Amino acid sequence: MVTFYLKRIYTSFAQHILDVPPRLLALLCFLLCLLFPITKPKSYALFIMALANLMAIFSASWDLLVGRTGQMSLGHALFFGIGAYSTALLYRFYKLPIVATIPIGIFITVLVAVLVGFPSMRVKGPYLALVSMAFPLIGTGLVFYFRQYTGGEEGVWGLPKLFPALGRYDRRIAEYYFTLILLLISAIIVYKIANSKTGVVFVSILDDELASKACGINVTKYKLMAFAISALFAGLAGAVYAHMLGIANYETLSLSLSFLPVILTILGGIGTIYGPIVGSYIYHITDRFVLTEMNIPDVWHLLFFIVLVVIFILKWPRGIARFVTDKLEDLSEEREIEERGPHIWKKYKRKKESTHEG
Amino acid sequence: MFEELLVLGAITGAMYALLALGFTLIFGVAEVVNMAYGAIFLLGTYMFSFFSSLWKVEELGMVTIPPLYVILAVILAAIIVGIAGSVVYRFFIDPVVEDLIALLVVTIGVAIIIQQLIAINFGHFHYTVSLYVPGSVTLLGVRVTITRLLAAVTSIVLFAFVWIFITKSKIGGAMRATAQDREVAMLMGINTRRLSMLTMAISSSLAAIAGILTVASSTQITTPYIWTTPLVLSFAIVILGGLGSIKGSLIAAFIIGYAEVIFMTFMPGQVSYLRGAFALVVMVLVLVFRPRGLFGKRIELEE
Repeated sequence: MVTFYLKRIYTSFAQHILDVPPRLLALLCFLLCLLFPITKPKSYALFIMALANLMAIFSASWDLLVGRTGQMSLGHALFFGIGAYSTALLYRFYKLPIVATIPIGIFITVLVAVLVGFPSMRVKGPYLALVSMAFPLIGTGLVFYFRQYTGGEEGVWGLPKLFPALGRYDRRIAEYYFTLILLLISAIIVYKIANSKTGVVFVSILDDELASKACGINVTKYKLMAFAISALFAGLAGAVYAHMLGIANYETLSLSLSFLPVILTILGGIGTIYGPIVGSYIYHITDRFVLTEMNIPDVWHLLFFIVLVVIFILKWPRGIARFVTDKLEDLSEEREIEERGPHIWKKYKRKKESTHEG
Repeated sequence: MFEELLVLGAITGAMYALLALGFTLIFGVAEVVNMAYGAIFLLGTYMFSFFSSLWKVEELGMVTIPPLYVILAVILAAIIVGIAGSVVYRFFIDPVVEDLIALLVVTIGVAIIIQQLIAINFGHFHYTVSLYVPGSVTLLGVRVTITRLLAAVTSIVLFAFVWIFITKSKIGGAMRATAQDREVAMLMGINTRRLSMLTMAISSSLAAIAGILTVASSTQITTPYIWTTPLVLSFAIVILGGLGSIKGSLIAAFIIGYAEVIFMTFMPGQVSYLRGAFALVVMVLVLVFRPRGLFGKRIELEE
């Protein structure tokens, strides 16, 4: 009996993961990440990798909104910042424990996303991009204006750490595993959503909003849903970030943080699950280890990545992760499931061709 | 009190009008939402301070620049930034002009590249933009520094000049035709691509001049990170007026200018932090209640 179930689990595992090369690679990478602390890395390296995990969640949430539904958001830091600030303020004024503040913070973020989403859904295209960019800037203004509550430039500091009972180094390891597991769970949820009926509707909105409307889809509802789901993960990343650093300040709402998921996702590949994660790891490892080891001043780091992003989007818009998964799938010729993801770039190419003809 | 609001609002509005003009031009003609607009503004201020530092003279311990050279520096800065703008259009914007997301990402990329290059070349620190004209005049009982007044007057003159150029000249006619219908304009023998490049050059020059005037008449200090404020402000104005409508952006600039001055006067506390946020709140409200702005083109169902 037991062996039967074990066998069944094994066959379904083999069928769903071992036989699909990209997933196999993802599994191997995940195992590598699990084993990473065994190499006794420095505490700083662990911290950076934990940060990479959080930013991967954040970018994945951006990718779900932009890569799947095509709703351009240039102010994703709003959700990150609200996640961070709400958990911080809840601690500061009500002295709630972390287990309570993080979920409530995420809930507040989703609430704000719905509130912000209503006016945003009335506009589209370039207007939406500009409106979404406005909200975190308004938020920054409010943070500075109500400085007696939010602490202004200093932010809310002295927040409890995630694992207060552990020692300094052990805490870093715990944080690393915690963020890694959060990332795994988020990635699986995003993957499930993207491949569900809802995900297909999202892609249909990206492809042709008018046609989806004509098919009887309540476009506004789905857009709002995408907004809320996206905000949920961004808020989660923000809340955990605040407790990992012990501070929530105005930088969690800054424009550069809004642009970060754009950079990471384009590097990895837009409209994929792997893209933001790969992008985040590549960005953080290159930024903090490779370039810093080579003694390149900080000013050049951002320049390097931005030039890379511009080159990618002009010449190689599919990103690194797509490139790798494509190569792998060519080996197995089994491309059914992965290809259900959207193709923002297919659309772009098609449009370009049609203009050449016309 | 009332006179003060009237004069200050007019000056602010005049400068905002010039700021938003370039942004609305490039959107109207080429349908490009240029996220690099603020960075081009920034580049203008740095070019000006670079040229003016070449020609400054020290007299009795005072560093001054002869007025003729100041004007020359402004013109040179505008020309160089204009050329830079058309290069940016040709190599970065034109290949992705069809795809909104790619376009936004590329222009943000260009903006950050400009910011980082400036930070590398000139350092992170303050750089002065000295266009200071000593003295002040009294308008309707309100004291205004001559620098601000000159900046406002220059803005309005330039705005009028561009307006006449667009409504009267042949190239301006081509621009309006392209803005109305790109494909038909192409069929009429207008080289829309080259026209877009030219528009981008004009838009960038205007941004540079607006940058020099704005910085010179306010803090006189420029850093590589100031570009988001003008970008967001021109968004707010252009959206309020309707993307692509020059008349709309002029009126919206004055509305925002006045509204901001009134808000800053009557709101208690440290309102300077809410200055940028205020314009944005106006923008969001406008979009909620009238999504195409005051004078925008009607958003059509498809294409």
